[in-house]
Amino acid sequence: MSTLAQYALLLGLAVGSAGAALALYGLARAVGRERREPGKDVPATAGRLSPKPVWVRYHARYYGYALLFLAFDMEMAFMYPWAVVYRHEGLVALLDMGVFLAILFLGLLYGWSRGALRRQ
Amino acid sequence: MTTVAVLAALLAGAYAVAVLEAWARTGRMRPGGPLFAAAALIGRESFVPRKPDRLFFEAAPVLLLVAAVLAAAVLPWAPGLVIVDLATGALFVNAAFAYVLVALIMAGWGPDGAYAMVGGWRFLGQLIGYSMLIVMPITAVAMRAESLVTTVIVDSQAGVWNIVYQPLGFVLFFIAAMALAFLPPFDLPTAPGELAGGVEAEYAGRRLAVLRLARALLVVAVALATTVFYLGGWRGPWLPPWAWTGLKTLAVAAAMFALGGRLPRVREAHFLAWCWKLGIPLALLNIFVVGLLVLAVP
Repeated sequence: MSTLAQYALLLGLAVGSAGAALALYGLARAVGRERREPGKDVPATAGRLSPKPVWVRYHARYYGYALLFLAFDMEMAFMYPWAVVYRHEGLVALLDMGVFLAILFLGLLYGWSRGALRRQ
Repeated sequence: MTTVAVLAALLAGAYAVAVLEAWARTGRMRPGGPLFAAAALIGRESFVPRKPDRLFFEAAPVLLLVAAVLAAAVLPWAPGLVIVDLATGALFVNAAFAYVLVALIMAGWGPDGAYAMVGGWRFLGQLIGYSMLIVMPITAVAMRAESLVTTVIVDSQAGVWNIVYQPLGFVLFFIAAMALAFLPPFDLPTAPGELAGGVEAEYAGRRLAVLRLARALLVVAVALATTVFYLGGWRGPWLPPWAWTGLKTLAVAAAMFALGGRLPRVREAHFLAWCWKLGIPLALLNIFVVGLLVLAVP
């Protein structure tokens, strides 16, 4: 199977899964419909409307982790190709990535020492 | 043909996982339980909250379903019994699992309800903890296999399974997989008994049925990924390969349920601290140790 055909199959699977969910919805609609009555569509907040709006800004109290996460997530983009050719390249690859990872790890330790690794 | 067989296996796995989860939770084995629950959910009313973000609310269960199916699509059950033997399979699994977060945030934001919103945002915090512990152990697996193709990864475990070759990676991946599938003790987005269902709070009827099905398929997908990456996939004596994959997948799922039922729920702040202060240094150590092993023992 060519690469294009593989991705086409994956796209087909995605569309098919969504279609299966929709078919289930159709089956449920065929079984019965909702009876519209007041109060049924209130979100669960102890039986009354939420006193404050829900769609507001929230404080991401883990933002210290989140910034470190960005750095590590970018690093993983380099790690996967490296992992595939690792044995072929040998010790040089280990040392190269070791230096890279050591710098990142020092960054993690620095962030830790400055209090980034806690809920602000 | 292969696609139909794998999809049937996935559905059977989701059914078995639903039975196992109910067994772990209630202590009663009810083989017909999932069928009755599905029939009841389909027959029940499914309301949309009064001021929803309709697109997010409707798309979330479907997106979770798609993410679980796509992740499982690149994981092999037996030689040749894989829907797509992708050249970047191990990476694709990560990409598909990333959409679990998107689906849960959408499910939290969509209904404009406080409990759902709290559940969704909690899962975002949880992702920042577990996500590195998914990708880093898989890197070490790819280093040994010299490939991202999932069938090659299984073949690379012909002598010694990865659970023996890199036990540290297995433990980290196992815990992170539990957090990814929001199984207890990492069930922060749903948090039964605390958040009124969290992201599930506003879903009922048919939409909840799709959400629950997607969750069960997600558990199957993470258990299958654990099997393929660490437990030698289809390898084993006597039984046919697909039976070994199925048995190992169910065993992993059962272990997750059994373990989760015995632990108290972990707070998001504590989970983040454990993941970053202990988990990620250990994951880096794992990559280093496997790097030495791969060079020393061909």
